[in-house]
Amino acid sequence: MAEKLLEIKNLKQYFNQGKPNEVRAVDDISFDIYKGETLGLVGESGCGKSTTGRTIIRLYDATDGQVIYDGVNVHDKKSKNDLKSFNRKMQMIFQDPYASLNPRMKVLDIIAEGLDIHGLVKNPKERKERVVELLETVGLNREHADRYAHEFSGGQRQRLGIARALAVNPEFIIADEPISALDVSIQAQVVNLLKELQEQKGLTYLFIAHDLSMVKYISDRIGVMYFGKLVELAPAEDLYNNPMHPYTQSLLSAIPLPDPNYERTRVRKSYDPASHNYQDGEEIAMREVTPGHFVYCSEKEFATLQAISGSRI
Amino acid sequence: MEKILEVNDLELSFHTFAGEVKAIRGVNFDLKKGETLAIVGESGSGKSVTTKAIMRLLPESSSEFKNGQILFNGKDLTKLSDKEMQKIRGKDISMIFQDPMTSLNPTMTIGNQIMEPILKHRKLGKAEARKVAIDLLRLVGMPKPEARIKQYPHQFSGGQRQRIVIAIALACNPQILIADEPTTALDVTIQAQILELMKDLQKKIDTSIIFITHDLGVVANVADRVAVMYGGKIVEIGTVDEIFYNPQHPYTWGLLSSMPSLDTAEAKLYAIPGTPPDLLNPPKGDAFALRSDYALKIDLEQAPSFFKVSETHSAATWLLHPDAPEVEPPLAIVERMKKFPGSRYYEGTEGGTY
Repeated sequence: MAEKLLEIKNLKQYFNQGKPNEVRAVDDISFDIYKGETLGLVGESGCGKSTTGRTIIRLYDATDGQVIYDGVNVHDKKSKNDLKSFNRKMQMIFQDPYASLNPRMKVLDIIAEGLDIHGLVKNPKERKERVVELLETVGLNREHADRYAHEFSGGQRQRLGIARALAVNPEFIIADEPISALDVSIQAQVVNLLKELQEQKGLTYLFIAHDLSMVKYISDRIGVMYFGKLVELAPAEDLYNNPMHPYTQSLLSAIPLPDPNYERTRVRKSYDPASHNYQDGEEIAMREVTPGHFVYCSEKEFATLQAISGSRI
Repeated sequence: MEKILEVNDLELSFHTFAGEVKAIRGVNFDLKKGETLAIVGESGSGKSVTTKAIMRLLPESSSEFKNGQILFNGKDLTKLSDKEMQKIRGKDISMIFQDPMTSLNPTMTIGNQIMEPILKHRKLGKAEARKVAIDLLRLVGMPKPEARIKQYPHQFSGGQRQRIVIAIALACNPQILIADEPTTALDVTIQAQILELMKDLQKKIDTSIIFITHDLGVVANVADRVAVMYGGKIVEIGTVDEIFYNPQHPYTWGLLSSMPSLDTAEAKLYAIPGTPPDLLNPPKGDAFALRSDYALKIDLEQAPSFFKVSETHSAATWLLHPDAPEVEPPLAIVERMKKFPGSRYYEGTEGGTY
């Protein structure tokens, strides 16, 4: 097994804690991210997948739990310098390429902002050279450096967002729905770019999305979230071929595919949380049913799932 | 089948500070009674503008009909006065918009919003209109409609709001329903529910639907026929099976190949290179030629006309010209063609298993 880059342990993120309108956006989830892999995180809107990403990178302070990056807890108290060096390793690409680029700044300054903060370049000439290099990495060119964000199309803006994230040579990138706002044909360009960069630079991704076919394509492993809980975590192929949690099954059965014959026969399953029929005192937790395939289930369900997957083999 | 709408040689431009944007450059299609026609294409291809032109919802100060007709039951909609158009809009032709968060009025109860077209077009009294509104809400699957009719849009979830928008659109039993990306802002599970609802309602009230989307999975699910738009023109039109299993235009090939499928693990996703054409200065020949691996010399000089593939299927590409060289479509497309009786790659046995 590859080396663990990130360990998330019992992470909780509650909003309005202690008040009547408390929201448990992320409710006690644990998982690991290995070096060089892409972990996909899917679920419907409001399930807490974006909050998870934002808590990991410390845009929110976690209510409870730990995020251990390379052996260091992200949420520990840190000096300004420690925080800065940590921020260099972890970067984020945002969903909306229209809202995440400052309209008053030139591309040169948007991308170089990270370089300036971390003091990675010595003089304006070097700064410009580095930005041009980054632009070329993401498939844009030198002329683009002196333009403003509004002069770019959606796909190009997302490339700028990627260039900005890459500027400080991060090891780990959280991509929060990076392609949801883009056209199908442009989505493919951006996904290919992300994959290429991963191969070249050995990046690790947390890829948050609700488009399940793209997630399957880009991810090594996929986690499915439902109402703040992680309900299933498995290698991408395995999750699609053999979904175990009823919510995952329902989610997969809802995806329309570009294949009319398949669409005519597709039957959608609906998920009813009450169907589990959990008794009081039953411990519900992530359990490893087959190697690498975790399901959030009770002891009883676990036994059934194991029996089923046993008979399949 | 009876044609309910005919769009002939439609050309439309916008006047902007930068010059004339030729947003629609000769669009032809018809819509039959009771069918669902999907229009697909990337942003800026003209799909939304086409439907807004049908609804006459484009700003008159900056847009201009250059040519063509939109015939609805024999009447040319481009020639109607605003008053006459108001009698059709919302009654005979109605529309569902993309974003249910912004297409409802936040200061009106949803009951009043559903009653608005009923009072305006159906000449019913208020009490009766209320009853109709409650029935409509029940029809679109809203629980406890009597109570919820008094609530405001912010008290509903995204999926519920889209159901309300659909209820408003259906209030006057329209003959044509235009749905402009109705599920793009919704989750897959909610999307599936809304699509099921729309198909169900279509059967019940026998309306025709024009469905705009860029999600090909949704198209495969809802459409009877599909029109593919690129650069302000329709480049290919046919039945859903013809477009998905026997596509002819290189742009359709690119579009279909750039979707990852769930059952295969390709090494690299096909991405259409380049960017959409600039409609301020539309290219002379085939607008897709510059991004196409299959462009011929003539594509750069002369725009192709439509070539018939079958009675229901035609595509605007020179590749279908008798003198054109035979080309091998991308692998993913050949795979699809193997399933289609009538294509040159068909592998099935006589009669087919589908």
